[in-house]
Amino acid sequence: MTTTMSKMTLKTVGDTHVVVTRHFAAPPEAIWRAFTEPALIQRWLLGPDGWTMPVCLCDPRPGGKIRYEWSHGQGQGFSLTGECLEVQPPKRMVHVERMHLPDPTPDNHIETTFEADGTGTLMTMRMTLPDSTTRAQMLATGMEHGMEMSYVRLEGLLGVGSRD
Amino acid sequence: MELAKPFEMSQPAISRHLKVLEDAGLIVRRAEGTKRPCRLAKPGLEAIDQWLEMLRGALARNYDRLDQVLAEMKTETNPETGGKG
Repeated sequence: MTTTMSKMTLKTVGDTHVVVTRHFAAPPEAIWRAFTEPALIQRWLLGPDGWTMPVCLCDPRPGGKIRYEWSHGQGQGFSLTGECLEVQPPKRMVHVERMHLPDPTPDNHIETTFEADGTGTLMTMRMTLPDSTTRAQMLATGMEHGMEMSYVRLEGLLGVGSRD
Repeated sequence: MELAKPFEMSQPAISRHLKVLEDAGLIVRRAEGTKRPCRLAKPGLEAIDQWLEMLRGALARNYDRLDQVLAEMKTETNPETGGKG
């Protein structure tokens, strides 16, 4: 299955992976900063409108920790933790992450590459497709968050597994 | 009730979630006395399309915001607008 939305593509590879590509109008060095510097991450990796990321830790070194906590200002937020495995700025990052809903989901192994593409960058993110139980949990969580805004914006969910 | 146990959520909240899941075709519920047993609706759950659509929507929104951040980063090299960003 392939879905295209403006500049983004999302497709499944086999039964186990999802590959997302997206073009950005900035060089790989800028994209790398936006993906690894907390002050920048906090401005975009937010999921649905109305959510903020009050806690953002990212240590882009092998073994470095990642921690994101999202909040909607009321009630229970949710968080993501991870570890960096391979770090080659500004071209490639491999890390594992899991959501806490609040129980941790199985580890999602993610490879993200940034290739110069004209004056911009092509990002390619290859991630593990979660098992059906995890998907159902994430959908349910998305619905809860979606309902706080309106019943129709379910897709807004989880700035999810996507410390992309 | 059983479904509510593992979650830190009220019974009415769980019921609301189940209603959404039912409307989305992900579960099927029937009445059995005072109970409302649920089972997963296979076609709904086996299709991962819904999950992928959710993921797509979340990512698309984030990346649109990132476009904006990248545009702002270009101007933030100006010290008057806050330095390195």
